[in-house]
Amino acid sequence: MTEPLLRVRDLKTYFVTEQGSGTARAVDGVSFEVQPGETLGIVGESGCGKTVTSLSILRLIPEPPGHIRPGSFIEFEGRNLLTLEPRDLRAIRGNQIAMIFQEPMTSLNPVFTVGDQIAEAAIVHQRLSRRAARTRAIEMLRLVGIPDPEERVDHYPHQMSGGMRQRVMIAMALVCHPKLLIADEPTTALDVTIQAQILELLDRLQAELGMAVMLITHDLGVVAGSADRVVVMYAGQVVEQATTAALFARPLHPYTEGLLASVPRLDAPPAREHGRLHGIPGQVPAATAWPEGCRFHPRCPYAWDRCRAEAPPLLDAGGGAEPGTHTVRCWLLTDPRRRTPHP
Amino acid sequence: MTPALVDVRGLVKHFPGERRLLGLGPARAVVRAVDGVTFAIAPGQTLGLVGESGCGKSTVGRVILRLIEPDAGRVTIDGQDVVTLGARALRALRRRMQIVFQDPYGSLNPRMTVHQMLAEPLAIHRIARGADAERRIAALLEEVGLDPSFAQSYPHELSGGQRQRVGIARALSVEPHFLVLDEPVSALDVSVQAQVLNLLADLQQRRRLTYLFIAHDLAVVKHIADQVAVMYLGKIVERAPAPTLYGGPRHPYTTSLLSAVPVPDPKAQRQRIVLAGDVPSPAHPPPGCPFHPRCPHPKKDARCRTEPPALREVAPGQLAACHFAEEPL
Repeated sequence: MTEPLLRVRDLKTYFVTEQGSGTARAVDGVSFEVQPGETLGIVGESGCGKTVTSLSILRLIPEPPGHIRPGSFIEFEGRNLLTLEPRDLRAIRGNQIAMIFQEPMTSLNPVFTVGDQIAEAAIVHQRLSRRAARTRAIEMLRLVGIPDPEERVDHYPHQMSGGMRQRVMIAMALVCHPKLLIADEPTTALDVTIQAQILELLDRLQAELGMAVMLITHDLGVVAGSADRVVVMYAGQVVEQATTAALFARPLHPYTEGLLASVPRLDAPPAREHGRLHGIPGQVPAATAWPEGCRFHPRCPYAWDRCRAEAPPLLDAGGGAEPGTHTVRCWLLTDPRRRTPHP
Repeated sequence: MTPALVDVRGLVKHFPGERRLLGLGPARAVVRAVDGVTFAIAPGQTLGLVGESGCGKSTVGRVILRLIEPDAGRVTIDGQDVVTLGARALRALRRRMQIVFQDPYGSLNPRMTVHQMLAEPLAIHRIARGADAERRIAALLEEVGLDPSFAQSYPHELSGGQRQRVGIARALSVEPHFLVLDEPVSALDVSVQAQVLNLLADLQQRRRLTYLFIAHDLAVVKHIADQVAVMYLGKIVERAPAPTLYGGPRHPYTTSLLSAVPVPDPKAQRQRIVLAGDVPSPAHPPPGCPFHPRCPHPKKDARCRTEPPALREVAPGQLAACHFAEEPL
């Protein structure tokens, strides 16, 4: 097995809440790896910690109120990003690891042309001259499929549509040919036909540039179409981790199972239409007061005494070529008979 | 066939272009937000109105309730003409038609408790007061799946799903027959979205409600709607019973939209049609068929660029506005 590009171990990112009364354990012991060139999907609902995880990797967590706890470990190509000097960190951020955000309007600077914004990283990291950087920006705009790049390079963000702005964001992120692209809900703000364009663009660029992608999303459909492996997060923890094929064929954590059953599907058999969706009862608990034991137990249809008392570790579900391919944070793995259909 | 509860004909709403330079300069082009929309909804049925941002679907919902005044067209609800109604009669009719908005944060008053928000419509429409009102508020909360203790809560104390339940309870408080649901679940997480969709289905059955369900999510609409209308640039381009439309779309835009929806199944081998370009601005709709610049139909010809296709019946119960509806993609 190749050496992973990114290795996150026991990441804990906590926030002191506004009233100072409590600590929100937004990310609470998250571990996963990203292999070179692969797409890792990170799935979960609001408040599960998926965005805080990605911001922690780039050390973009505002401190205070946030802080990454000692003992957390984020290794990129063998270097621990958490202990890096700011200067060394800057050499990696935006250069070898780049990020695109959900809101292309708020993450572009309205007073600079898109060309200037794309060129900036090339000037800073690759020491290109302004002229060379501008040529590079035009190349990037062409690469991401923006028509008339020579003209568009001098436009401002407000002169572009939402889909175009997201293409500009991608051009900015890729200008230094990063090894890892973190895409946080890159298509959530976009219409479905534009989403299809952007997903196709990301697929094509990944193949051309050979980069790894961490695709953070709440949309199981997007993950199914794009990711090689999936990490499912709930309440600040990884609850299931598997190859995309295995996760959708055999979801083992009751939360994953519930999420899949919650989604109305275009490919639903006619018999299921107009039927009831199997939503997950209740709601995500607050990060200041995760439930004792298994954090999903108050919403879990299978929960028993052990789940209320004892927090389950990530257990190996087997089924993969090697151990650890499919892991699940659930006591059901120790007692599969308790998985009765729809209790 | 039962007469329609909601009947909309030739609805038009154009927003005048604002003047540039502090209102002194030349006017911008008129935005043709809704440009001749016709449909009907039978009692107890759901019409799903789908389309991308800026297609005019939300404006349709608001114009029907006269939250925005239409420029032309006719709207009747329960046989009563909504467009020509005077202010007093309109207020009375509002008891029969209500709206639930997308954003449960923006549509609830942050300074009012849930109880105050539910008591207000009861008082305005002189439906109930005192102990009777209390009883009704408790029953409403229970009906939307909230514990009556939530009555004393403020919106910021509630989760997104709970807020949307309050929004639904508020709409139901005046006992309407017809609800406009404007993206009621798109701001919610999927697990909560499923709960609210189930609630809406239960309420429809129990109260025999008629829904106009406005959404951009085709899978959600497929789940809840009996009839579906697809809008593009202010016009309906296809309208049909849901199984017909999803089973055999006739307009190339519908076909492309359906193919673009990600399906949570990695084994699904689908032909994804990726439309080129963006939706044109409704201030400058293309001549001819509004969809022609993005249309992937291989037979697209000069006629598409010059002659706007009429919305016509292309199969029993199925209407499409395409010159080549007989040869779908």
